[in-house]
Amino acid sequence: MPRGADLHRDEIPPGTLYLLILKTLARSGEMHGYEIANSIQRVSDEELQVEEGSLYPALQRMLVKGWVTAKWGTTAGNRRARYYQLTPAGRKQLALEMSQFERVIGAITRVIEAV
Amino acid sequence: MNWLRELGRRIRMLVHRRQFDADLEEEMRVHLEMRQQEHLESGMQADDARTAARRQFGNVTALREISHGVWGWEWFEHLMQDVRYGLRMLRKSPGFAAVSILTLALGIGANTAIFSVIDSVLLSPLPYPQAEQLITAKQNDSLQNVIDIQRETRTLSQGGGVNIERMDYTGGPEPVQVRAAYVDAGLLETLGVPPMLGRIITPDEDVKGGPRNVVVSYHFWQNFLSSDQHALGKTVPLSGNSYTVIGVMPAGFALPGERADVFVSLWVAYPEAAPYRGVHFMRTYWRLKPDVTLSQAQADMSTIDRQLAEQYPDNERDRETLLVPLHQWLTGDVRPALLVLFGAVGLVLLIACANFAGLLMARAVARRQEFVIRSSLGAARSRLIRQVLVESGILAIIGGAIGLLLAIWGTGFLVSLKPAELERFNGIQLDAKVFLFVFGVSVLTGALFGLLPALSCARADVTESLKEGGRGSTASPFGHVLGQLLVTAEFAVALILLIGAGLLVNGFSRLRSVNPGFNPTNVMTMHLQLPATRYAEIPPQTEFRRQVLGRLNSLPGVETAMVTDVPLGGNYVAHSFVIDGHPSVPVGAEPRLQTLSVMGDYFGVMQIRIRAGRDFTAMDREGQPLVAVVNEELVRRFFPNENPIGARVDWVRTKGPRQWMTIIGVAQDVKHSGLNQPVDPALYAPFSQSDEAWRRWMTLAIRTRGPSPGLVEEVKKQVWSVDGQVPVSEVQSMEELMSVSLAEQRFNMLLLALFAGIALILASVGIYGMMAYHVGQRVHEIGIYIALGAQRGDVLRLVVGDGAKLAFLGIAAGMAGAIGLTRLMISLLFEVKPTDPATFAAMAILLAIVALAACYIPARRAMRIEPMVALRHE
Repeated sequence: MPRGADLHRDEIPPGTLYLLILKTLARSGEMHGYEIANSIQRVSDEELQVEEGSLYPALQRMLVKGWVTAKWGTTAGNRRARYYQLTPAGRKQLALEMSQFERVIGAITRVIEAV
Repeated sequence: MNWLRELGRRIRMLVHRRQFDADLEEEMRVHLEMRQQEHLESGMQADDARTAARRQFGNVTALREISHGVWGWEWFEHLMQDVRYGLRMLRKSPGFAAVSILTLALGIGANTAIFSVIDSVLLSPLPYPQAEQLITAKQNDSLQNVIDIQRETRTLSQGGGVNIERMDYTGGPEPVQVRAAYVDAGLLETLGVPPMLGRIITPDEDVKGGPRNVVVSYHFWQNFLSSDQHALGKTVPLSGNSYTVIGVMPAGFALPGERADVFVSLWVAYPEAAPYRGVHFMRTYWRLKPDVTLSQAQADMSTIDRQLAEQYPDNERDRETLLVPLHQWLTGDVRPALLVLFGAVGLVLLIACANFAGLLMARAVARRQEFVIRSSLGAARSRLIRQVLVESGILAIIGGAIGLLLAIWGTGFLVSLKPAELERFNGIQLDAKVFLFVFGVSVLTGALFGLLPALSCARADVTESLKEGGRGSTASPFGHVLGQLLVTAEFAVALILLIGAGLLVNGFSRLRSVNPGFNPTNVMTMHLQLPATRYAEIPPQTEFRRQVLGRLNSLPGVETAMVTDVPLGGNYVAHSFVIDGHPSVPVGAEPRLQTLSVMGDYFGVMQIRIRAGRDFTAMDREGQPLVAVVNEELVRRFFPNENPIGARVDWVRTKGPRQWMTIIGVAQDVKHSGLNQPVDPALYAPFSQSDEAWRRWMTLAIRTRGPSPGLVEEVKKQVWSVDGQVPVSEVQSMEELMSVSLAEQRFNMLLLALFAGIALILASVGIYGMMAYHVGQRVHEIGIYIALGAQRGDVLRLVVGDGAKLAFLGIAAGMAGAIGLTRLMISLLFEVKPTDPATFAAMAILLAIVALAACYIPARRAMRIEPMVALRHE
């Protein structure tokens, strides 16, 4: 069952998706889901094709963890949308994930470049 | 603290979960619409734009579920779903639900109530510090021996003795009698409960001529000293002397098994008795030294016994002091009854569990097809099992709640029955641990048995099961056999209980029809005690008695007589005696009898028949020849082949000349010590001819023509017009005494009958459920049977025969079990053998009838099956 498998993946601690969302929010302050998706694509020069819907389970998880808060607001186009904002806990998490990410990338790079 | 805040967020989500879901849905919709808008603006067609947006977004429904699941409440929501589904299923089969709940409620309620009582009485520690060290001697002892044992012992750290007597308290508006504990200084020390105010009696006060000090009970302090915090140092008048209050015991304190209002030194209050080694009238309590066992203490005590026997052969030659733990001694009387009840409770619990299990199992088997279909549609096995568990859980919670109410009510009911033996145990109350235990056992059994079929379904081959189920044959032979076993076992256990109850009822009805030897109707009794200070000699005593009797007998419609102790009142004086002209008996081995002094027309008032010779007359008084009336038992025992009239008897006397009493009459036997007790030889003699000045008490027996309100007050007035300082106590009617004497037996009988009744209901419910289910499963088969020409009678025989087979198997097993178990009840039965064939037969027949009736209802349903409907049905 794909549902169970997805759910299982969500349980895996810090996925890159969290890092991307955290970083995006840290850079831009308040954003709604659509903006986050666009921002990730734009900043990555369209390299990262995120399945947009999968942002939402991740955001819910981050709400549970208390990394972000959400409140309803109005977009420039005068539509109701839910805006997410980083909390202090979220900033701490971002720092943690960054350092973890760099460590893993560094390790992978070393392996790949080893003669 | 982080996890706590996270939990808070999760709970907030659970509470507002509809809002959260709505938010999530809207958010996703907004996202899709924005993306679609963007595509439209970049020139796509409307349809393409929507499709592209959706492709980019992913599976909306799945994502929504995953997002929802992130909050971790899926299990709870599934549970609620299962509960709702379970409740719906139960509403659809109200019979099953009602029967299961009833089974659980009865089983849990009855068991908790009884366990609570047993727990408080048999298992709770006594209210003394380090009570496990406390022991008592089976035999009473004298103060002098107690002092010697205290000095000689190497295994006992402390010890003391007590004798309860009555003392007159004349400090209130009416003279009353209080219960006085004559103690030595060691007694309160040994029991170890410190006084609430002041101090206890010290060894240097506990001497001949010591100060008249008294320690009072909380009850006395409350009633006679008006709970005065400054009561210490006050004086109270007790039996003509003034005592100084030196201590007040706390509210919860009582002597083991006895109530006392005041505690005084034996040396001070009763110096006449204290020095006599031969007067064994004190109950003794001892405390084991740490790490000393009972058998070590017993060996030590036996050594001391031998020393005392050698030193004082006159009094102590046959000394044999047996020590028992205090707890055992206190619970000894109720123990057999409670243990039988304990057994009964266990059996009822077994039946209740078996029933619940059987019901759930039958139901699970019946729903086999449902489970198979659900599992073939992809339901996870764990989900099916959870469904079964949730359903039994719902039943358990409802049944448990009703059971709890029943238990609270039942415990109150048991305590309100108040058999005398339970009265000394205060604080019998519902025990939460017991409730949880019983609840747990029944629920676990039910869940376990309910699960078995669900497990086997979940494993079953779908097509095979569906085919099989479609034919409507019995689904699981395993479940069926287990169900039959359960019903058979229920019947066996129910029969054991029924037989036990039957034996008690039988014994009780015999006990009730025992002729007590007198007519208790309309007889009132009151106890009078003359103060020693002014009535030390016989003549003033006789004068008082004559005056009181004269005054009372002048009241209209009243006949009054006096006796030392009335039947069933719990007391009598025993004397050893000798018969003139009979071969002499070695000193110390003379036979004993009850001695009762009387004045007035005692036999007439009590309606005790004179079987031979004559009654006392007014001429049998002081200065006249000494006379006696004996009972039939004495004649049977000591004059088997002689005419007792004219024979002469006397007490065994250590000094003084013989004073032969001539037997002038034989009176009917009277059950003096209890309706279920044998009659002892007894001798009646006139008060006025007695030479025992210590018999300063008497009990008035007053017969009226009917109920006479105000009689008690009138009698008190007359007594006090003779002497205003004489207390009147223990006012009770002979009928009350009779019912007290029956109370214990009635308590046992009621309880066991109650249990047997519950067992009978449960067992019949069990067999009914089993047969109803069975018939339901065989509708198809029976339809064919009828279509092939079977008559209604054949169908009836088929169904009832099936049930009867189980019932009779169970009855046979129950008989065997009962023969083994009822022997344990022997001490509770009055004139009934534990294997009384009539009771066995009657109960077996009763159970068989109930079983057949329970089978008849489903059988009637089976007879009404229309073959065409039945065959088309599946």
